[in-house]
Amino acid sequence: MFLKRSPKSKRDQLSFTDILVFVVPLLFFLIILFGTLTWTVYVSFTDWKTIAADYQFSGLKWYESLFNQRRFWIDVQNNLKWLILGVVPTVTIAIFLAYLLELSPFPGVESYTRTLILYPVAMSFIVTGTVWSWMYEPTKGVFNTILRGMGYEGLQFATNPATATYWLVIIFIWQFLGFAVIITQSSFRTAELQEMIEAATVDGASKIRILFSVIIPNIRSGLLILISLLLINSLKVFDIVYIVTFGGPGMSTDVLAFNMWISSFQQHLISQGAALGVIIFALAFIIIIPYTIYALRRWFE
Amino acid sequence: MKTKNLTLKIVVFIVLVLLTLAYLLPIYLMVSNSLKSIQEITTGNYLLPPSSPKFSNYTEVLFGSNRFRSEMLPRLLNSVIISFSVTALCAFFGGLGGFYLARTKTTFSRILFVFVGIALYLPYQAVIIPIVIIMAKTKLALSYWGLIFAYLILNVPLASVLMGTFFLSIPRELEEAAKVDGASRVQTFFRIITPISLPAYASVAIIIFIQVWNEFFLALSLASPRTQTVQVVMAEAKGTTLVLYNLQMAAALIAVAIPLIFFLFLGRYFIRGILAGALKG
Repeated sequence: MFLKRSPKSKRDQLSFTDILVFVVPLLFFLIILFGTLTWTVYVSFTDWKTIAADYQFSGLKWYESLFNQRRFWIDVQNNLKWLILGVVPTVTIAIFLAYLLELSPFPGVESYTRTLILYPVAMSFIVTGTVWSWMYEPTKGVFNTILRGMGYEGLQFATNPATATYWLVIIFIWQFLGFAVIITQSSFRTAELQEMIEAATVDGASKIRILFSVIIPNIRSGLLILISLLLINSLKVFDIVYIVTFGGPGMSTDVLAFNMWISSFQQHLISQGAALGVIIFALAFIIIIPYTIYALRRWFE
Repeated sequence: MKTKNLTLKIVVFIVLVLLTLAYLLPIYLMVSNSLKSIQEITTGNYLLPPSSPKFSNYTEVLFGSNRFRSEMLPRLLNSVIISFSVTALCAFFGGLGGFYLARTKTTFSRILFVFVGIALYLPYQAVIIPIVIIMAKTKLALSYWGLIFAYLILNVPLASVLMGTFFLSIPRELEEAAKVDGASRVQTFFRIITPISLPAYASVAIIIFIQVWNEFFLALSLASPRTQTVQVVMAEAKGTTLVLYNLQMAAALIAVAIPLIFFLFLGRYFIRGILAGALKG
């Protein structure tokens, strides 16, 4: 439907100069980008396992090898945890927070809160991770100092293999909450939705009822975008793991992206790294399909 | 939707207090501990303010010392050079590409848009190996051009979509009028569209700048000692000088200073950029 050829109107016709100026630069960068992507796919089918290039074809050998490694399945499990826990709580909190801000009974609350929770978006995961690992530090860290001061026993945080990933996800949620609130808030602000809320209020519906039966069903496209963006960011997570735990303790916080880096740049199993890169890309591709279709429709409508 | 409901007031108040604690604590920790001596940190409580602020920590981090060898100043310059170059080039090329995507509705532009859409969220892991090979073969990795070029490839699609979202909201009549006056498309773009799109360029610039400044994976994999960025040296400082918490915190503050200042002063443009990225225009 949206790929249907549109009638050629005169204003769509580009001269040679137009093509050179407007199309060629973008096309150039895209060709390099997708060229490197194809190259990665190709490397993943070769037998390159030292620093020196080796393009001997080896089929699916490295994929099979990955599927037989325990580490790979730990990564998959951890990535799943990231995908679920990085997205569901963030979206839930963001909806409630955005709604509270809309209802805001105090003046100035909105701009204050926006700045307060959005500033981490301007910081790198490296910095955030450094500060948070300091808060998490079990012996003298901030959280344990507070907990012990209140008479509780300290927690292990990121040093306990069983729960380490969860503590890392909290950093991610902290960092992305402001971003999520901004997007959610903007999807509240359509004229149609405001009218519906108005009508429901006149009918005497409670605020909570309005949230669940009027607002949430009517911000689906906003939520689709927000969820896609959060999913893709939690799939790509690398920096937090690198800086806070370096995949440890043991392999307990390892994720695909981190394994990819270790394989390629520490162990020089280039083909295995490429195979992991391809797998991460495939997952990302699945995540962004609904988003891309939506974007395409909106863009060319 | 304004209300005088008391329960609502209490809920909002509690939420505000919790958020304020959660979001100011890390900043407070960075500032207060970056001003302590290492003795004060190891013997005292992390949460206490510094007894006598030690600003020399910052000069030590910037210029290095015997105990802190990863001096930040040259890396700060690297990050500045790389991020500003990428931002300027991305805004320029993104404007051109975005104008094409927003104004041309042909099968080719639709196909291009799909590829741009995939490129927007392409995990860097899927392209890093060839990029490292290319940069090593061409020796670009030894200069700033390696990272600048790599960031350009990865960010021009994003810049194009962001600029395109803004162009979509500009009425076509403006261009039609210029066309009647005999201006070519290129002239129209630079003389009419660009001047009225400066706020859009500001939004795109701040988004790209913050993204590139904070990027770690590519910077880590591609950086030669001469082109190391702030993020890479931060990660290094955490690994090797683990005990020097005070210097670590000072380094962290130095690393976030520039993007944070941009955020505080250009927050409006930043939010508009985020919304454009979420296709909200």
